Amino acid sequence: MATETSEAAGEEFDDRFFDRGRVESLLQGGLYGFAVLMLLFLWLPLLVIIVLSFVESPSVVSPGGVTLSNYGGLAGDTDLHSSVVTSFSIATLSAVIATVFGVLASFALTRYRFEFREIYRTFGIIPMIVPGVILGVGLRFYFQSVPGVDPSFLATVLTHSLYGLPFVLLIVTARLYTFDESLEEAARDLGADPLTTFRDVTLPVIAPAVGAGFLFAWVRSFEDFIRALFVSGISATPLTQWMYGKITKASVDNLLTLNAVSTLVVLGIAVALAVAMNVGNVTGYVAGTVDDDEE
Amino acid sequence: MAAPDRDETSRATIVRVLSRRRNTLGVTVGPGAVWIVLLLVAPLAFMSAVSFATIENFQIVWDPTLEHYYDLFAGGTTEYSLGPVGFTTTAFEEAIMLSYAIATVATVLCLVLAFPLAYVMARLNDRMFKIVIYLVLLPFFTMYLVRAYSWVLMFGQNGILNQVLGLLGFGRVGAFEYGLLPVIVGLTHAYFPYMLVTLYASLDGLDFTLIEAARDLGASRFEVVKDHIIPLTMPGIVGGSLFVFVPSVGAFVTPQILGVGKVQMIGILIENRAIGEATNPATASAASMVVVVSVVAALFLVFRYVSLDELGGV
Repeated sequence: MATETSEAAGEEFDDRFFDRGRVESLLQGGLYGFAVLMLLFLWLPLLVIIVLSFVESPSVVSPGGVTLSNYGGLAGDTDLHSSVVTSFSIATLSAVIATVFGVLASFALTRYRFEFREIYRTFGIIPMIVPGVILGVGLRFYFQSVPGVDPSFLATVLTHSLYGLPFVLLIVTARLYTFDESLEEAARDLGADPLTTFRDVTLPVIAPAVGAGFLFAWVRSFEDFIRALFVSGISATPLTQWMYGKITKASVDNLLTLNAVSTLVVLGIAVALAVAMNVGNVTGYVAGTVDDDEE
Repeated sequence: MAAPDRDETSRATIVRVLSRRRNTLGVTVGPGAVWIVLLLVAPLAFMSAVSFATIENFQIVWDPTLEHYYDLFAGGTTEYSLGPVGFTTTAFEEAIMLSYAIATVATVLCLVLAFPLAYVMARLNDRMFKIVIYLVLLPFFTMYLVRAYSWVLMFGQNGILNQVLGLLGFGRVGAFEYGLLPVIVGLTHAYFPYMLVTLYASLDGLDFTLIEAARDLGASRFEVVKDHIIPLTMPGIVGGSLFVFVPSVGAFVTPQILGVGKVQMIGILIENRAIGEATNPATASAASMVVVVSVVAALFLVFRYVSLDELGGV
């Protein structure tokens, strides 16, 4: 913003600066216009889904009438219901595991110097980076050879708990790096034992980061399709597998049902995100710009 | 009063155990390490073992062979000629070249399209920023499958894009039919937020007074971008490219539903060998290992320039 003030000052002295100011504002307009276009690019397909969930035929030329019947049909779809329950269970269980292990590992990485620390950190991030197909295929063959696991609900929970680990790790280590350890020393000096110190001093400070990590791990599990494709087997059908079945058997009815389900997903995420953004500094965790002022 | 007493003792035990550094280290490092070894290292090791094993009657026989790797690269059937040099390629070679080409295009598109938006976001005031970041994060958190599916509606011979063109009096555009273009657009759209968030994280830490100073001292816009903005945001550019490129190489859903069999990327080939029509765990493993090796090579290259801490954005 300081650029504008310096130019405004320049205009009074010299015409040359006036020209520069005009070019500047034109460029600025172009930049902002482009930014708006990009937001539109992100949103356009989602808006199309939402609009086409309220019509009788999935077409902009002849959408038929406006209707809520696409949503009415969802109420009686037991396959859909059980897949939603499956996805919620998998996401919650795997996010809990990822959060507990991820928080512990974050302490190890930020507080201690030990052999293989760098390797530990790198391998902690890898599950996020390995392409889903490869993690899925690798774990599928692995689980098939381990008696009692097989591709199943349990296998999916294990897979997603590994997949969620890096998200917790990145967010919580970022928080712990900025954590003022003298707070803990003070508590210890005043006679608190390690457990009390953790509960009353450390945890309240890192709680928002832990919550954000849990949320990330949960969402990543809930939306995962490719890993679950290989490890969920025939016994467990998460929501994404149910949706994929509808996409590959594209009929008008299936598309309209999908539009309705997708709209509900977008709506659910919209509400959850709005709440999360008002409660905590979600943007900080996502963009890695956690600052100290929320302590 | 027995219960609280016992509680006190077990608590004292925990405290005593935790006050020894070695124990604390074990408790914090242990669970994650076990998980990583059991669910990441072991499966990848197992997969690499399978890739060297012999398959007889759909059973794995532990008889080492290089046959599966050989099959991936030898005996190509599709003929090409590059000037005077003629050569043949296998389905695997084509899939991996196509995957890298598509991933490169998607990464460059994401970078070019996301940079201006990330720059604008870094300069917005708090109120506007909150609105824009909400609009960006919502698609970011929305199911990948929903975002891929949204382009199923947009493209296609009778997709929204062609319908709109029809309404405006133009003919249908062949490129809008399912195939290469929809796959590239779908991948760009899918991973755009990853790039944006990572770029924003490094642009947000940028000292804009530096840029003003450079401008005041007579640097042109182009020079400022080339000499200051790009070098200073290099970690974000490299990190964001990584987050787009690697998953794009291994993409399955997007080429599957938007390519309708016309865009055979490596993810589809691996899925096909793993659980699809041409099931052969050893071939699927060998193909996966080639991708893993190339991804690891890419990571090594990247981490020579940026450290993991700097990647920040998730």
